[in-house]
Amino acid sequence: MERLWNSRTRAWLVTGSLVALAAGGAALASGEAQKSAAKPAVAQTHKAQARAPQHLPGYNPERNAYFGDLHVHTKLSFDAYIFNVRATPEDAYRFAKGETIPHASGMNVRLSGAPLDFVAVTDHSEYIGAMEEANDPASPISKLPIVQGLFSKDPKEIQAAFNRMVEGNEHGTLPKEFSERRIVSRAWGEIQDAAARNYAPGRFTTFVGYEYTSAPGNRNLHRNVIFKSAKTPDLPYSALASNNPEDLWKTMDEWRGRGVEALAIPHNSNGSDGLMFDSVRMNGQPIDKAYAELRMRNEPLVEISQIKGTSETHPSLSPNDEWSNFEIMDRYIGVNRPVTKFHGSYVREALKDGIAMQEAKGFNPFKFGFIGSTDTHNAAPGSAEERNFFSKVGRIDATAAQRGSVPPNGAKSWDGVDMDPKNAAARFQSWGASGLAGVWAEENSRESIYAALRRKETFATSGPRIRVRFFASYDFPADLAGRSDLVTQAYGHGVPMGGDLLPSKGKAPKFLVWGVRDPSSGYLQRAQIVKGWIENGVAKERVFDVACSDHLTLDTATWRCPANGASVDLTTCEPTRFKGDVELRTVWTDPTFNPRQRAFYYVRVLENPSCRWSTWDALRNGTPPNPTLPTTIMERAWSSPIWYEPKA
Amino acid sequence: MTSELDKAGAGRFPPPGVTAAFKRIAREPLTHFLVIGALLFAGLQAVRAMERPTVRIDSQELEQLVSYWEQQSQRPPTKAELHAIIQDRVDEELLASEARRLGLDRDDMIIRRRLAEKMAFASEDVGEIAEPDEATLRAFYDRTKSQYLQPGHTALRQLFFSGDRGEGPAGAAAMAALAKLNGGQAASGDPFLLPLTYADVSQDDLARDYGPAYAKAVQAAPLNSWVGPVASAYGLHLVRVTGRQGAEVAPFEAVRQDVRDAWLADRRAANNTAFLVRLRQRYRVEVAGGAP
Repeated sequence: MERLWNSRTRAWLVTGSLVALAAGGAALASGEAQKSAAKPAVAQTHKAQARAPQHLPGYNPERNAYFGDLHVHTKLSFDAYIFNVRATPEDAYRFAKGETIPHASGMNVRLSGAPLDFVAVTDHSEYIGAMEEANDPASPISKLPIVQGLFSKDPKEIQAAFNRMVEGNEHGTLPKEFSERRIVSRAWGEIQDAAARNYAPGRFTTFVGYEYTSAPGNRNLHRNVIFKSAKTPDLPYSALASNNPEDLWKTMDEWRGRGVEALAIPHNSNGSDGLMFDSVRMNGQPIDKAYAELRMRNEPLVEISQIKGTSETHPSLSPNDEWSNFEIMDRYIGVNRPVTKFHGSYVREALKDGIAMQEAKGFNPFKFGFIGSTDTHNAAPGSAEERNFFSKVGRIDATAAQRGSVPPNGAKSWDGVDMDPKNAAARFQSWGASGLAGVWAEENSRESIYAALRRKETFATSGPRIRVRFFASYDFPADLAGRSDLVTQAYGHGVPMGGDLLPSKGKAPKFLVWGVRDPSSGYLQRAQIVKGWIENGVAKERVFDVACSDHLTLDTATWRCPANGASVDLTTCEPTRFKGDVELRTVWTDPTFNPRQRAFYYVRVLENPSCRWSTWDALRNGTPPNPTLPTTIMERAWSSPIWYEPKA
Repeated sequence: MTSELDKAGAGRFPPPGVTAAFKRIAREPLTHFLVIGALLFAGLQAVRAMERPTVRIDSQELEQLVSYWEQQSQRPPTKAELHAIIQDRVDEELLASEARRLGLDRDDMIIRRRLAEKMAFASEDVGEIAEPDEATLRAFYDRTKSQYLQPGHTALRQLFFSGDRGEGPAGAAAMAALAKLNGGQAASGDPFLLPLTYADVSQDDLARDYGPAYAKAVQAAPLNSWVGPVASAYGLHLVRVTGRQGAEVAPFEAVRQDVRDAWLADRRAANNTAFLVRLRQRYRVEVAGGAP
């Protein structure tokens, strides 16, 4: 063969085939790249759920305090996604365990304090997962008119996009495609997979959950639905099906009938403009026994504090409570409108209305315990640390200037800065670094913690890990407070927080109140009991100091501790040294007890004053704190109430 | 006009060596290919320039457009509606094509980001990672063992002397109690809200609830004898460790899934880095001011 070709022909052919090979190879390579750009579906695998042994490490029959966050949003929530959040449920659990995750603004964030014990990811069930899909140009819903301009990095445009979504939701004009079963089902699956993967009994508990996002007329009726186990409905029941919480509760009853156990936790009653604890139902009828039972069967708890304000009470409702003005946010949620009705918006008043209804009509729809949680939209559970606060809505409140804690545009003073608190831009400055859930449970497992939520043996804090015990009994041993087995005695003779005190046989009840500081936060200043009771058909309230720090003597005429002199050096945020106590412990007898008066009691423990997050921001920036904001706060913990039921 | 070659030449004719080289080059097949290629390319360009550019909507896309419209309206489009759908799509394509022709896509940050995202996404797929085999995973586990360290567990009893007593009195009470205990007598401290007896507590939980100094002291304490006083954020403690299980690395079988995830993440990160390194080799990067 060789002889047939002369050398020139051969050179022609060799060079030609080399050129062809090179060209063809390049074409082939590009074809290959295109082909493999179609992403194969990766099968989701996760560990089979570990079977819980009889007792887990850390088991304590007298119960441990576990801290967690039951209100967490990730990129699956429509608003979080618009806020540029791309962190996943998996990221949320990683953050809770102390790891670093990316923030929407590009920085990295992590907890500066200890990791959490339990977490539920609770994304908005409405349009869940839809924004991610809408932002994919290959998906059909990305072509919808509402989607155009929805995903921007510019804070002003983000705010406009969010407003458009809220408005569309309110008017029911958002496209059906945002709630396609396929999309909801995929997101719901992602949430359940992440919860299953991250559940480590004895070390870290996850709950499957979601947020039911009802806000008729923008009046906030949101609640988080928390499932006891991995057994959940196929899809969440959302406010798109009905914005009447009664329908949610009926659905939960129905789930329960099928062995799917869940509870709902309402939050931000402060933004409900009186609707959350209204005395009438949504259909205008007064609350009846069936309603009260339906509600109580499904809502044993409320979230008393979170980043968007604390809903314990409002200064106008509790004028004799000197500590009521704590992280108050008296504006609507998501829209810039002031709240006008405080009654029905705060939990202390609701507890009072509840026992008044019990007295007059024989049922109580508001017999709930307390938890706190953050409502982070950054997939950052537990991010309620004053010193390490990055607020909660992604790219629009990520910097101190956006949060209003330092003057805008790099200015060094507040001169000439528009400080009108009614500005939409001012709303982040009224948000607090607050909200932590505490439970008393035997061990760190779904069963044990869920049982604690159900029996309301829960407490809330404004962020620090203050531990609070609260028991009531008619016959505690006289030396209870000094005994080393006092928890055994307290459980043996009394009822813990969340419980009912049976009718008195003539004796006044005694209350064991016990708070211990968070080792990495401030010292405790005073422990208080908040009492609400019915007197001649009218609900009343009173705050009693019951234990004072620094060996100070309680004035039992006014029930106030003398000032302990603690303050903060605002140039360094250093608190006064040697003020306050490690723990406050007392057994208190109610001097105003009347066995015929229905009542509730809950504990509030206050820390010494410390710098608010906005002051920390200002200190780091070298500018004076925003003069319209409090420079310091008193961190605190609230126990769930104990109710006293007189003889019928 | 004189060429460089003319000037370089010694006389009127090029020297014989140069002519020979020319001839050789002219006979070289590669030259032929290059010349033919260049002609073809130029010709093709010329033809293309004369042709009207085409905007084409293929049947697959048409079907998608229609099905999407149906999804929204719950019925098939009428003829007029179909016309409008197609018209819209064509208009979009025309505007986009013209924008590209005018180079409007070149200095657009959003388009650049989108392209970069697409490329990053595509490169992850090109470097598709095969499922690792058992040996690979075990080797990776051996290299990253410290990741799977399980904290040590301890059983302990403690007496507590509250910091609220004041440092001196708390210390004195603790020392007195320690002397009693060492003498075989019973002793008691203050009530404490955290447990006075732990049947099984992890080193991590002790560090979290009492601080690192306390956790360290517990770790160092000999079995079954009282040690202290140990200081914490709450006050002073006397501690007696009654049982201990040291920190150990979880066996491979127990963390296989985690090892696999970590291995995949590690490969993916390595692939991404390698891809960017290759890109850096293929491009010359110039940054004003000479930054790297």
